[in-house]
Amino acid sequence: MEEMKRINNKKKCSIRQQRRTRLAYKIIIPFFAYIALWGVMPLLYGLYLGLTEYNGLSRKPVFIGLKNYRDFFTNAAYMALLWRQIWMGAICLFMNTFLSFLLGLALNVPSKARGFFRSGIYVPCIAATSITSAIFVVLLEPNGVMNTILKRIGSSPITWQYSQFWMVFWIMVYFVWKNIGPAAIIWLGGLQSIDASLYEAAKMDGANSFQRIRYITMPGLRFVASYIILTGIIGAMQMFDVVMFLSKGNPYGKTDILMYRLYRDGIVNFNMGMAGAESTIIGMITIIFSMVYFRMVLKKEDQNA
Amino acid sequence: MHNITKKALRFVWFILMAVICMLMIYPLIYSALGGFNSQSEFSSMGNLFPVPKKPVWNNYIFAFSSTVLSPLLNTFLRTAWYTVVVLIMTILIGYVMARYEFKGKQFFMVFIIVSQVIPAVLTLIPTFVMVSHIPLVGGNDLFGNGGKGLYDSQLMLFLPLSWGYLLWPFLFMQSMKSLPRSFEEAAELDGAGFFQTILKVIVPMQKPILTVVAINVALNTWNDWMTPFLYINSTKKTTLPAYLATLTASLQNYGQKDYPKVFALATLAIIPPLFIFLFLQKYIVQGIASAGIKE
Repeated sequence: MEEMKRINNKKKCSIRQQRRTRLAYKIIIPFFAYIALWGVMPLLYGLYLGLTEYNGLSRKPVFIGLKNYRDFFTNAAYMALLWRQIWMGAICLFMNTFLSFLLGLALNVPSKARGFFRSGIYVPCIAATSITSAIFVVLLEPNGVMNTILKRIGSSPITWQYSQFWMVFWIMVYFVWKNIGPAAIIWLGGLQSIDASLYEAAKMDGANSFQRIRYITMPGLRFVASYIILTGIIGAMQMFDVVMFLSKGNPYGKTDILMYRLYRDGIVNFNMGMAGAESTIIGMITIIFSMVYFRMVLKKEDQNA
Repeated sequence: MHNITKKALRFVWFILMAVICMLMIYPLIYSALGGFNSQSEFSSMGNLFPVPKKPVWNNYIFAFSSTVLSPLLNTFLRTAWYTVVVLIMTILIGYVMARYEFKGKQFFMVFIIVSQVIPAVLTLIPTFVMVSHIPLVGGNDLFGNGGKGLYDSQLMLFLPLSWGYLLWPFLFMQSMKSLPRSFEEAAELDGAGFFQTILKVIVPMQKPILTVVAINVALNTWNDWMTPFLYINSTKKTTLPAYLATLTASLQNYGQKDYPKVFALATLAIIPPLFIFLFLQKYIVQGIASAGIKE
């Protein structure tokens, strides 16, 4: 009798479990299928597209093997674009990470005005790049505000658009202006999650402020730092809107970067095969960079453990 | 003595932060003021604060002319649509993944996590090609040729659902972990079905995280100029930030440029997100903070 009951119970349980499983599938599979339609399918199709020549209009892509990739890696112009994407992205990412860290530290000072400052710093990122970059374009006009300031402090005006150095500089300034807010707040969140008693204990043990930063603050921020840098790498490697709006790759293509070229190749000039190959290349490089960085973080973790 | 240096340091800190804040906000002020200039008055654009001698309203009024009204409405519609859709998706996926055990759950979990680190550039061009070759739509034949598919169709403002949105179900799952199961079990004992449990128990108890999701999705959608910019050609069908992208890109061209008009539109496009930000700041901040500290 007891035995029967238990078996019956088990059966009931498994029927209930089956019903729950079926319900779970019914709910989530449509969502995942629809997302896969917009994600996985293009991803696979993109890998194929890179192996073809296609103007996007005719009946079918023509398979040409690795020719696009060969063209890419033997053409100095393409390699220069790739290289510039990497170093310009690196400068923007480095400056943003560094300055947002300083801001995070500054925001961690207890004060009544802190909330106000935090909002002020965050404001630029609530507007789209397409909106705010227009303002920067005008500020950088030859007779614009930036040159007014130069004249006021007694130096001669500069035509920013004619100089690679200055355009890279302003692209970086815009990038930091736009992205520093969220990064600073994430740093701040990390700083505030560190247990204050650790500092007290270290002070008791006679650690100076440098040592406290080195042995308490920095290890405590490990996760936050890796998040900021990892998403930063992905973002910087796909940066192109800033360049498109601020410099259009000028002067003479000296601030042109691979993502902007990809956009022009694909969407403007309908050279879909080459654009497909470029996006695969830049996507793979991004993934490799992220993985290398992730490995570095993990290794450090092992050493610390 | 020590106290005095401390006070001085505090003062320096305050001044420094105030200056940084001013620099951050300055371009927006410049833009708002610039919108009140007439085109001729703005030609001397070097003023630090372009306060017009004779303020004109026609740039801001232009924003409600028939040209811009339609993109403005589209932006509102699109934002509302995605907020609702992503909220529903977040609740359903997040709840099921957090509370149900089923075969293949691990697979979906991996899918969610991996999709967060795949660069969007990998799907940009192929999606563009595929969208313009969807069979039997927009003049296409059975094999997807001959027409332009969904290219330049307003449906592109509402149909795409990128896997980046899976971040929100993931966050919702995390927050479900701290909600005890007993509430749902009690509801189920009372005979509440799946959707009833969600509506009566889960949604009210998870309001904070759902607010975070709604606000962040709304802001991101409002500001997503890229999708409409890529897929939609006509001003009537596009969104305001995408229309501004076209204007901004054309600022680099030679010839007469109507800066004040661009400024007025830019200012107007910033106002809705700015209001959301000012009143619901803490949810936005929570959103990024939890995204950063989740691991």
